[in-house]
Amino acid sequence: MEKILEVKNLTKKFKQIAVNNISFDVEKGNVYGLLGPNGSGKSTTFGMLLSTINPTSGSWKWFGKEGTDTDTLKRIGAIIEQPNFYPYLSAEKNLQIVATIKGVQYPRIDQVLETVNLLGRKKDAFSSYSLGMKQRLAIASALLANPEVLILDEPTNGLDPEGIIQIRDIINSIAKSGTTIIVASHLLDEIEKICSHVIVLKHGTAIYSGSVDAMSNTKGFFELKSDDLNNLISVLNDMNIFTSVKEKDQLVIAQISQDISASELNKKLFDEGIFLSHLMKKKESLETQFLELVKQSNS
Amino acid sequence: MIRLLKLEYLKNLNYKPFKVFTGLYFLVLIALLFVGLVDFDLFGQKVNLKEQGMYNFPGVWNFTTYIVGLLKIFLGCIIVFSICQEFSNRMFKQNLIDGLSREEFIFSKILTILVFTVISTAVVFTLAFFLGKNYSETQESDLIFKEIYFIFNYFLKLFSFFSFLMFLSILFRKSIFVFLGFFMFWFAEKILIGIETFSIQHNVTELEKAKVLNAKTFYTDYLPLESMSNLIPNPLIRTNMAKLLGMQFKFEYPTGSVVACLIWSAIFITGSYYILKRKDW
Repeated sequence: MEKILEVKNLTKKFKQIAVNNISFDVEKGNVYGLLGPNGSGKSTTFGMLLSTINPTSGSWKWFGKEGTDTDTLKRIGAIIEQPNFYPYLSAEKNLQIVATIKGVQYPRIDQVLETVNLLGRKKDAFSSYSLGMKQRLAIASALLANPEVLILDEPTNGLDPEGIIQIRDIINSIAKSGTTIIVASHLLDEIEKICSHVIVLKHGTAIYSGSVDAMSNTKGFFELKSDDLNNLISVLNDMNIFTSVKEKDQLVIAQISQDISASELNKKLFDEGIFLSHLMKKKESLETQFLELVKQSNS
Repeated sequence: MIRLLKLEYLKNLNYKPFKVFTGLYFLVLIALLFVGLVDFDLFGQKVNLKEQGMYNFPGVWNFTTYIVGLLKIFLGCIIVFSICQEFSNRMFKQNLIDGLSREEFIFSKILTILVFTVISTAVVFTLAFFLGKNYSETQESDLIFKEIYFIFNYFLKLFSFFSFLMFLSILFRKSIFVFLGFFMFWFAEKILIGIETFSIQHNVTELEKAKVLNAKTFYTDYLPLESMSNLIPNPLIRTNMAKLLGMQFKFEYPTGSVVACLIWSAIFITGSYYILKRKDW
């Protein structure tokens, strides 16, 4: 796999350590989530990778080249924290400025405005835009130079549900076109829906880096329900393929230790004379996995 | 360079207050050059600067550049606002992320300063020449351009002044602090000048005082604002009125101040770059 970004031992100290010795790689074509609570160092990491913050120590390579120079930045599209534009200028004029910096031809402006559905408002001043529109304009601006990597820092922060869905749809369609995306968020739900890989940050330290699937080593769990819960629990315990069997909210939760399909389990229980009214095989949500990870790193 | 000029054009000329105030500046500047044509009252006496020799060659270069030089703070405000808004709107950070280097950012601001300075100098030169041609008592060709160096000094005065304001804008990033900082600096310079003058004077007898003050080099003459102001002397002493009173106009070309201004400009520009480089955005 071609590596877009390799980060090695990156550290930033303000008064306290904001980013502590983190290392990770970003491979081409994947969608990466940078996860972590507020203040865990996500924006500082981006700041260093985008040359706005001077690192205390460590190094990184964009496209195999050491550090971040202006040519590299022209291959990256980035939105940081909040949409930044000249408030007194129209969307079109703002994008002309970005196009002039990046060396992009003006006709491309209408194309990206079309992508984020803002073409009709291009003559209006940025200050008159709603937050959702501002965020979409920021995405348009990031897409202007056909970037190979897109960096999004909290792209749905402060948006209403409709705005969140719009942004998510745009990100999904960009991801499908093969653009590598790195998205930071504290909304786990968000990351889970769009990312294939995650880097989990906590107090500036990367506590996990890898694919979403490999994040947790559990094989998932079953949710079951039948008329006689006690009988169900004892039968499940006798099968010896679950690490734990517990009752929770009128449901039986059985953690899998030996993999088994839902239909197979259903057949076995049927043979034991148990008729299920509810059976579902589930994976832990990213949220549970994340909390699990944070808990582990505490101990 | 064309790219950076275009960038500055897009950023500034679509900004209404910027356009309006720049227009106003040049209007006031032009009006002020014609000030010699009107009579005004000064302590009950009628004063007409044209009759005082304002438009006579070669003094016209001194008069005009001095008078419009007073307006430079006006243009300075526009430059301060234009640079500070880059920081208050977080646009400097955004520009960096979009791929503008810190060097290019500084250079684009210097270009704006240069454009302003060049246009302002050209306007002053053209109008002063026109006024001199029309109203000067002498039209001898060797007198006409004798003191043309005031035009260059005016250019340098504006450029170093704006470089100073650019430095303060990048240092403080909020226009209100820039102006506060500027006035503090101005006071500090005046106080230092006072201290130096006093320390030289206080062990000198009354008789020798004038001689010592004329002969001695003042270190404080080379402070930024003071060296800028020394580039163009106050022309009041050249008026016909002053001549009648027996005052003599003596002026040596202020080479020291010119060098000081050039060095200060270089310091302000490198200082600005250093701040942009070292700070985390």
